[in-house]
Amino acid sequence: MKDNQSISVTVNGKAYQRAVEPRLLLSDFLRHELGLTGTHVGCEHGVCGACTVLFDGQPVRSCLLFAVQANGHEVLTVESLAEDQDALHPLQQAFWEKHGLQCGFCTPGILMTLLPFLESNPNPTDAEIRLALSGNLCRCTGYQHIVEAVKLAAQNA
Amino acid sequence: MTDSSNLQSHSLTRIDAGGKVTGATQYPGDLTPDNLLHGKVLFSGQPHARMLSIDLSAAEAVPGVVMILTAKDVPVNEYGLIMPDQPVLVGLGSQNRYADVSLWEADQVAVVIAETEAAAAKARGLIQISWEQLPIVTDVFEAMKDELVLHPWHGSNILKHYQIRKGDMAAGWAEADVIVEGDYRLPYQEHAYLQPEAGLGYIDAAGRVTVEVAGQWAHEDLVQVAHALGLPENQVRVIYPAIGGAFGGREDLSLQIVLGLAAMRLKEMGIERPVRIIWTREESILGHHKRHPAYVKTKWGATKDGKLTAITAELILDSGSYACTSTKVLGNANLMVTGPYEVPHAHVDSYAVTTNNVPGGAFRGFGGPQGAFAAESQMNKLAEALGMDPVELRLKNVLRDGSLLTTQTPLPPGISLAEVIERCAQEFNWDKGWPPALAGDDHQSQERSQFTGIQSLPPDTKSLRRGRGFACSFKNVGFSFGFPERCEATIELFGDTEIERVVLYHAGADVGQGAHTVFKQMAAAALGVDVEMVELDMSDTATSGDSGSASASRLTWMAGNSIRGAAEKALEAWQDEDRPAVGHIRYSPPPTEPYDPVTGACMPNFSYGYVAQAADVTVDIETGHIRIERITCANDVGKAINPISIQGQIEGAVVQAYGYSILEQLQLKEGRILNPYFSQYLIPGIKDVPRQVDSVIVEEADPLGPWGARGMAEMPFLPVAPAITAALHDATGIWFDEIPLTPYRVVSKLREHGIGID
Repeated sequence: MKDNQSISVTVNGKAYQRAVEPRLLLSDFLRHELGLTGTHVGCEHGVCGACTVLFDGQPVRSCLLFAVQANGHEVLTVESLAEDQDALHPLQQAFWEKHGLQCGFCTPGILMTLLPFLESNPNPTDAEIRLALSGNLCRCTGYQHIVEAVKLAAQNA
Repeated sequence: MTDSSNLQSHSLTRIDAGGKVTGATQYPGDLTPDNLLHGKVLFSGQPHARMLSIDLSAAEAVPGVVMILTAKDVPVNEYGLIMPDQPVLVGLGSQNRYADVSLWEADQVAVVIAETEAAAAKARGLIQISWEQLPIVTDVFEAMKDELVLHPWHGSNILKHYQIRKGDMAAGWAEADVIVEGDYRLPYQEHAYLQPEAGLGYIDAAGRVTVEVAGQWAHEDLVQVAHALGLPENQVRVIYPAIGGAFGGREDLSLQIVLGLAAMRLKEMGIERPVRIIWTREESILGHHKRHPAYVKTKWGATKDGKLTAITAELILDSGSYACTSTKVLGNANLMVTGPYEVPHAHVDSYAVTTNNVPGGAFRGFGGPQGAFAAESQMNKLAEALGMDPVELRLKNVLRDGSLLTTQTPLPPGISLAEVIERCAQEFNWDKGWPPALAGDDHQSQERSQFTGIQSLPPDTKSLRRGRGFACSFKNVGFSFGFPERCEATIELFGDTEIERVVLYHAGADVGQGAHTVFKQMAAAALGVDVEMVELDMSDTATSGDSGSASASRLTWMAGNSIRGAAEKALEAWQDEDRPAVGHIRYSPPPTEPYDPVTGACMPNFSYGYVAQAADVTVDIETGHIRIERITCANDVGKAINPISIQGQIEGAVVQAYGYSILEQLQLKEGRILNPYFSQYLIPGIKDVPRQVDSVIVEEADPLGPWGARGMAEMPFLPVAPAITAALHDATGIWFDEIPLTPYRVVSKLREHGIGID
């Protein structure tokens, strides 16, 4: 694989050095190279939002980035939110308590979208929550309990 | 047993949520065992063509390719849920003499197994196939002429015809003072579960061909895999890890057989390595069945005081290239096209028709939405023709205890539709206060730019019209029309003098609806132990008996009865001082019957759920954009075991049906899907959906349900589309007999009637 490119990327606080194929998607890098399968791939072209991660603190679709673009950057995935299920982030706790998920496949992307949103807007209105999540698809819940979960998370933060 | 005393309604939080919010939960595509091989499936891309030759040489030469499977490698090259009419792999050299013909663009023809996904994909692209093109049939009305029969062994493109003959039609029309007619067209719908098909095939420690995949009925998957692989059933194992949504779309097989086949053939080559295949979204949308498009012509008569006298209906489903569950879907549609009403004279003909389009199959509601759209639209048109309130008209005709269905049999006791309709009307304030003020911070704005998302529109609001509509439905719980219905459960109790540990073994699939959480609640209630004490061993054919499918709104009902039965037996064994005390049961509900071929007379179902909805809708008559302000849904769930899960099911079903009604538009041309992507097939996002969904949970016990519970997951889907079109009629005076209500369709129809802004 002589064409592979060397990258250094910090994922969930840990530094990784890897040689990657230049067209490897960031989503595939996270899932298949690093084993971080909490980042889900639902559409492969930036529509569903399931693969959303934080890139230097900003939510991005990891299926629309190449791993080489993450060289020198910091990535946070859903696995960064909690050490284990007994020490959940308030946002995770709220999704659990308020039934903000069913099949759960869209959930990691929704949580990662909301993390910086709630930091910059700790007291959002329903309309602001809906605008923040307008790039994330969920086929199970009808979104109403997701909005309830975000409101609870804001309350408990 | 209607005794609900020992089960308290409780919104127990989901037992699987911890894994789902941390990313620890493993969906099929997340399974990454050591030494993994990767597979890619080649689709034929041919809606109708005969394979003349296939050349694998270039593909096999790709470095890293381990094996390429084609038709000749499939021991018994056929499968199908209700009939084995589909080759596992289309192509040459198998025992199936029809397997050389591709009838569907997503017929699978080859599976490439390689060291990497990239190598498998590259090799797949180098497989050379020569096809003889055959004429294609994509129009159901053309197909019904049988000028070209697509399945020669079947003899006709009419896969199934059901009929209802009840009463005396001449008398029924003579009694009618008003008659309304409709010609309804219903679209495809794609399931669009967020998790695309994926899975793992390997040989387990006991030497069994094992498939880990997301499905809806593990034991039926096993039967079909074993049949195609020519293996005894005890040599096959199916396991469901976390399932990322299903909605009926995983009821037919996708990757199950080819994963098992790959594991089996690799082992024969001396390679015992697991194989993983992950479909892209494009492959998912191309590669699995859809909700059937339907064409319904129907005529209803009623007396001037609003009693139904006669119904005729002709309903046609495009069942596409393979049967899947089409005959069963048709059975439901045939029953529901006359609505949840008592009608003395009825004449119905329903057809499932084979074409070269994508197969139709199971999707939440299972023929119910197509039937309900026609029936409820007819009821709303009758209300207009009679000058009668649509709620009042329904209450005059609705099925009640003792009413006879069109199948000339009564429904099981406990028919609550009248109460459900009344509760819905009451909670919606149907009789007063219309139109209500719009409330809440995102409801206030009536600005058109925000309403349509079109920023350049002038800000005036005179083009906005508001209306309300009503609809109600019934839907069976469980398998119908004589299909064998059963559900197994096993419970083990451990301890000495006190029960210290409980293990429930069950195969019922948690597709996201929360079934396993409710199983745990029901087991705890049946045993009189704390919920926390119950451990689950779920969805593994090696440890559980056959549960039947996660479909037909049946799982709480059937699993609940099986868990109750297993708990009783386990407690008896406990009293007998067995340690561990084991209880196993195979629960069967009262039998059902197939349609009589001439009259349709039968006992179709053993249980039903009932639902009513009112919709508050705003339409911009200039742009055709529709916004749903509120949908109030009253749903009789018998007993709300887990109320928050029920709310989640109602809200999710309403939003999915909103997509069906307004947004979702699968495009086909000459048997090929043109928009197999989420960027082109639009499902509802959070800014599209109804502003408010009110879940009104009614609890009228089902005498046979566990703790009185009824099934409920499909029911809220059914009335949405006809309630919206009724509201649109209220707002504009125009009936829309075809969905989805895209802006283009709405505007075109309104302009035809001279409605718009000057």
